[in-house]
Amino acid sequence: MLSRVAENLYWLGRYLERAENIARMARVEHEVMLESGQEIWHSLVSTTASNQLFWDQLVESPDLTHSEFLIYTMQNPASLRATLVRARELARGLREHISREVWEEINALYLFLALRKEYIARDIHEFCTETQRRTQTILGLYDNTVLRDEGREWFRCGMYLERADMTSRIIDAKYHILLPGGDSVGGPFDRFQWTAVLRSASAREAYRRTGNSEVDGIKVAELLIFSQEFPRSLAFCVQALQRHCQLATAETPNRRRAAAERGIALLHLDIGVMDMEQLVEEGLHEFLDFFQKRLIDIDQAITDDIFRAVPDAEPGVGRFQRQSQTATGIDQN
Amino acid sequence: MANEFLHDYQDSGPSSDEMFDETGAFRDDYRELGEMLQGWTLDDHLQREERADLALLSAGITFNVYSEDEGTERIFPFSLIPRIVGAQEWSRVEAGLKQRLRALNLFLLDVYGDQRIIKDGVVPAEIVLSSPGYRPEMAGFRPPLDIYAHIAGCDLVRDDQRGMVVLEDNLRTPSGVSYVLENRTVMLRVVPDLFPRWGVRAVADYPNQLLNMLLSVRPNDSGDQPRAVLLTPGIYNSAYFEHSFLSNQMGIPLVEGPDLTVGDDDVVYLRSTSGLERIDVVYRRIDDDFLDPLVYRSDSLLGVPGLMRSYLNGHVTLVNAPGAGVADDKVVYRWVPEIIRFYLDEDPILANVETFSPLVPAELDHICARARELVIKPANESGGYGVLIGEQASDAELEDTLTQVKEDPRNWIAQPLLQFSTIPTFDGDRLKPRRADLRPFVLSGQDTWVIPGGLTRVALREGSYIVNSSQGGGSKDTWVLNEEPG
Repeated sequence: MLSRVAENLYWLGRYLERAENIARMARVEHEVMLESGQEIWHSLVSTTASNQLFWDQLVESPDLTHSEFLIYTMQNPASLRATLVRARELARGLREHISREVWEEINALYLFLALRKEYIARDIHEFCTETQRRTQTILGLYDNTVLRDEGREWFRCGMYLERADMTSRIIDAKYHILLPGGDSVGGPFDRFQWTAVLRSASAREAYRRTGNSEVDGIKVAELLIFSQEFPRSLAFCVQALQRHCQLATAETPNRRRAAAERGIALLHLDIGVMDMEQLVEEGLHEFLDFFQKRLIDIDQAITDDIFRAVPDAEPGVGRFQRQSQTATGIDQN
Repeated sequence: MANEFLHDYQDSGPSSDEMFDETGAFRDDYRELGEMLQGWTLDDHLQREERADLALLSAGITFNVYSEDEGTERIFPFSLIPRIVGAQEWSRVEAGLKQRLRALNLFLLDVYGDQRIIKDGVVPAEIVLSSPGYRPEMAGFRPPLDIYAHIAGCDLVRDDQRGMVVLEDNLRTPSGVSYVLENRTVMLRVVPDLFPRWGVRAVADYPNQLLNMLLSVRPNDSGDQPRAVLLTPGIYNSAYFEHSFLSNQMGIPLVEGPDLTVGDDDVVYLRSTSGLERIDVVYRRIDDDFLDPLVYRSDSLLGVPGLMRSYLNGHVTLVNAPGAGVADDKVVYRWVPEIIRFYLDEDPILANVETFSPLVPAELDHICARARELVIKPANESGGYGVLIGEQASDAELEDTLTQVKEDPRNWIAQPLLQFSTIPTFDGDRLKPRRADLRPFVLSGQDTWVIPGGLTRVALREGSYIVNSSQGGGSKDTWVLNEEPG
């Protein structure tokens, strides 16, 4: 498969998954805010790692709200809207690799966003719900209408890598509640927060189904990190990433796939030999931080060795002129 | 006419109309359609038009407009009333186009070969060699099957006296065929009831014909399974939709410059996740100037370094051949009837529009004296840019253009203002006459094939002569009627 196409499919998977996560988190945060009266959008801004940018933008437009920044402004490259605009741009360049149904749904979502000429705070809920529903429709259509070839495996790699990253950030945003001496551990506000975490990860039903009734921070974190059954947990995502990466690289020479596969396998092993008790002892935040860094390394290995490798000399081919990589509309954020 | 929106259909003065004759009655080929339309209410029409627009928008069948912000997309305005071409008339057009392309390909072979036509004094040397489309590095090179202009789009208009005439040839990277195919799809969905009893000639075979043609011109040293790719400048190009559409329909990779690389063996390779794969034919949708930064513009990021070396050594075929533009130069166009007679010893089946070149002294005098009756065009612009219509221009505009013509006669041509025919086109609440042209596409490889019909472009403003999409033109489906079963 053409390297650029593989890379763009991988990023299409990442962006769509990211958009779905942002929409879901924003919807939950919005409800929590309405109910609790507490402005907690800032934690979401840090979940998407855009704190500095937010403050920079605030200097330019003092009326900017956290929610507008997170959902709507194109100045924030990680905003929901910016993410979807880029997904659609990639999809335009991939039309022959995705089904017409998937393309039309991505394009319809783009037109839905384009029709919103301005940000309207009271519409956040409807806006996010609709975006989430449409994004999920796209992911579902992708699974059911697109040929299961190498490209689809790259799409899935991107999707699971992004999902692992987002779930880890969702937990990380609330890790401080688990710290000894944290505010009102186990109190009603604490439960309220962890319920929001579960909903942010679409995990409320899964949590109950796995035999838990009382909402408890440790158990929530355990489900979201270690569950083999819950499709958004870190363990599940890493395992899926490993499977799809193996399928995607079936025809890739060993030396080009080695670093990525080694990185994924090691991360898989590391999660497999840990438990929750150990994590709390050694520091949940440190673990999540480490986990995110490992994902960055894996992404780097896939990008450098597989997508953008300059071919070595091969018999009959010889030396190659190195060409500058054109921008593919991709950022590494 | 009882129908509310066919009511008051105004004849647009000097032009004839495709649907109605001078007495206001339906022409034969349009009778069945016209009678059907008379049964429609305004609402019927509006609803279907809306459904068609929605189908095009949601499918992302859009083009970018250069004069607006980058990335601005618009749908190509689509008009439901089709253009109809009768079976007999079509066979004449088809034969005429095949003849024309045969002659133009022989002309290109000659220009880059012995230059007999220049030596015999039929076409002046300075006109050929000074054409911006002329590529000296092609001299002495013979492409596979001696074909240069593999894909051609010839713009036809109907003139009262002579029927269909050729307004211009596009032999570099003509675009628009995807709209032909998509317009038909939309029509079949939205107005299935309008299609005539004996049906119309299908256009859907184009991608197969195109792929067969591409593979038929592969280089001599290619293996058992030759591979073609479509080379695009990328998603910001105005015709990107078409690039994606065609590569998808043909099942060949859509590539950008950096996706290809040329080895020391001068073979072109595709960079894939599993390694390098040989490419035999490149259907390039980028201009000559950007093909290869080692030969042409060194600042081009769109092309592939070494591509021309590979081509000239016979390891890859470029479609269309670099340098084919010399034959669609608007000044060279003036000599196409002579070109047809010279190589084929036949009279042209399809006439040219009468054209004056300021390089010929008598013709320059004519241009200056009769400027008000002429259309003065830059010879090497496309998309309708820089065209001056004498009748509509201000004195200052006219003066300015004539000065430019005298200063740089090689760069201009003039033609009489053609009162080319109109087709009923919906505007506001009724049908109005709007001028239209027709661009059929001709494929030349092992065989020559003409798409039945082509892209009908229509001026959407009253009285306008400019049909280009970038200038607010729209498009229509084109129906070539099947012969009625005897």
